[in-house]
Amino acid sequence: MLDGQPQDLQLEISQLEARLHDLRSQLDGSNYPVKTQTQTQTQTQWTTDLYNDKFQSEEIRSSLHALLLLSDSALPLGSFAYSSGLESYLAHNKPQRTNPASSFHRFLKLSIASIASTSLPYVLAGYRHPETIETLDNDLDASTPCIVAQRASVAQGRALIGVWERAFRASFAAPTRNTDTGAQVAASSIDDFSDMLKSDLGDVDEYDMGPKGHFAPLWGVVCRAMGLDLQQTAYIFILNHAKAVLSAAVRASVMGPYQAQNILASQSLQDTIMARIKREWNTSVEEAGQVVPALDLWVGRHELLYSRIFNS
Amino acid sequence: MRQPAMPIRSPFESSIAKPGQGNVVLSLLPPNNPTLTTLTYKYPLKLVPRAPGFVPTPDPATLSDKCPSRPVHLYLLTYGGGLLPGDHIEVSIKLDPRTRMVVTTPQGSTKIFKTDPSTESSFNVIKGHRKKMPANEHLSDMSQQSLDVKIGRQAALCYLPDPSVPYKNSRYAQVQTFTVDAAAKGDQRSSLCVLDWVTQGRTSRGENWNFRFWKGRNEVWATDEKTGKSRLLLRDSVILDDESEALDDSDEDMEEGVETGLNSHSGRAETPPPQAGLVPLNIIQERTRPHGVVGTLILSGPVFDSLGAYLMHQFTSQPRIGSRNWSSTSSSAPEPSLSTKGDVTWTAARVRAGFVLVKFGAKDFETAKDWLGGLLREEGSIVREFGEEALFCL
Repeated sequence: MLDGQPQDLQLEISQLEARLHDLRSQLDGSNYPVKTQTQTQTQTQWTTDLYNDKFQSEEIRSSLHALLLLSDSALPLGSFAYSSGLESYLAHNKPQRTNPASSFHRFLKLSIASIASTSLPYVLAGYRHPETIETLDNDLDASTPCIVAQRASVAQGRALIGVWERAFRASFAAPTRNTDTGAQVAASSIDDFSDMLKSDLGDVDEYDMGPKGHFAPLWGVVCRAMGLDLQQTAYIFILNHAKAVLSAAVRASVMGPYQAQNILASQSLQDTIMARIKREWNTSVEEAGQVVPALDLWVGRHELLYSRIFNS
Repeated sequence: MRQPAMPIRSPFESSIAKPGQGNVVLSLLPPNNPTLTTLTYKYPLKLVPRAPGFVPTPDPATLSDKCPSRPVHLYLLTYGGGLLPGDHIEVSIKLDPRTRMVVTTPQGSTKIFKTDPSTESSFNVIKGHRKKMPANEHLSDMSQQSLDVKIGRQAALCYLPDPSVPYKNSRYAQVQTFTVDAAAKGDQRSSLCVLDWVTQGRTSRGENWNFRFWKGRNEVWATDEKTGKSRLLLRDSVILDDESEALDDSDEDMEEGVETGLNSHSGRAETPPPQAGLVPLNIIQERTRPHGVVGTLILSGPVFDSLGAYLMHQFTSQPRIGSRNWSSTSSSAPEPSLSTKGDVTWTAARVRAGFVLVKFGAKDFETAKDWLGGLLREEGSIVREFGEEALFCL
């Protein structure tokens, strides 16, 4: 058993990678590849060759590392300060507090559908075309219907730029290690955009607003610069949103921390996230829109709450 | 009722237009005479102009060349009072500098019909029966409407239509684009007031968000005619999709799993939502609950500045949610939920570029109409600038 352990680990790693590969191909909404190749791979023994191929490759390792960094709840984006409308929702739907858990389930589902339809297209566009970040930022700002949501998005977007500049850029944009031109373009796009943000003097006049720094498109660009693939970028964006809402639910005393982790780990949450990503995979930013009109009302009325523990 | 002066229309002009297309240009001829220099439309669309007798009282302070011109009223009609599957309405309006236009829908709500072979007999009432749809159902059975308005400097558009009422199983997409003059500053800016609202359907027939697809997108662009540059100022987009059209076959199981799955994971016994049983869950209903009508009002420009300020004030002075009267002795009665108490749940925000964006949800059409009509009449600037007719639908 003792000498069997590293092999077990290898096996598990390979299985996880196979699963990741599986999920990725599932995700590719436009053309679903036939999965025969993956299946034959799964059936062949997990040789060290496979380990070398898969895990020792610089790309995979660094993208896994970046994935873990970006999914860390300690990433200093200030996400904990926002409940994405949950606090206002609870205040507007008091009779349902007799069964807070099911009321929360409804909110989580609506919230994920809404973030996917309004913001995910901007994440995907930021990843696919990092050089258009300025236009994406303007268009998302134009599409944000209320000040509360705008403040939350801009605060986190600017925080993300801060983390990139102060922490990640040194490791991920070093010219020696980066061979992917897309990542290089993304890195220089962030730098240019950041310079614009810093030199911006505020709104010059009514129709000439400066850059804002919205979160969603920047997330796509930063993920590109850090070498994640598009599927990972989208998944982690929605998952982080779900984590933030669940964390807010725990702090708003809707549920306990174990119950929150239970939901986070659940298959149904994974399925929801996958289904929403698939649905928005080919949605252009022009076609992005709110699918949950009620959510705009709750978020907008957050300012009317008598007592607030969150900023949104 | 006086028809506005209009040059003789070329009989060949309308033959250029495709079915459902309309084209309107409103110009200001000297000295101060608003004239429709172009007015074409083609079946099933109908555009009826009318110059109201109403002349806005010029504010003594803004007299001189800023004096507002007489508003021209344009009725937007379709044969049958609604849109059949496959109808494409395309209206293009150009407002020259300093002109003003009021657009309303005198037929009441914009009905979005669904032709279904089994229920076709019920459509006998529709006059002007249109041709049968082509075989390709997926593309053709969607009703579409696009409105494109170019608003020159100091010009103003007041567009307060009736809501859109999508019937059961209907599919509809609407794009409304408003272009303002980017070079105009301050008081010279173009003004617009646009209402876009949608109801749950025919409540008398028990319809409750039973359509298949409704999408409304409103965009405001600033275009500089000299440089040709355009910039998106505001985009408001609502998508109500029952998601019955799966992306592919394997997707259907997935969606069902999603809709019922989340409820079963809280780890304790819970009563499932009533819809989760035999009746399939209505996703649109779930996403609009508890409202029977949702809508958006967009305001911008100097003409609507005072209305915007008034609505912002009304919004911010609403009572705080969850505040308590600490001085009174303990009143154990639970606080009524705000979303049901007021009947109208709304929010107003001064977003960028001086826009005021109002979003609302109400339990039914009448409630929303009374609420919005009440607010606009109380503030009074629309009636003052455009006449009572501008509030025809409210």
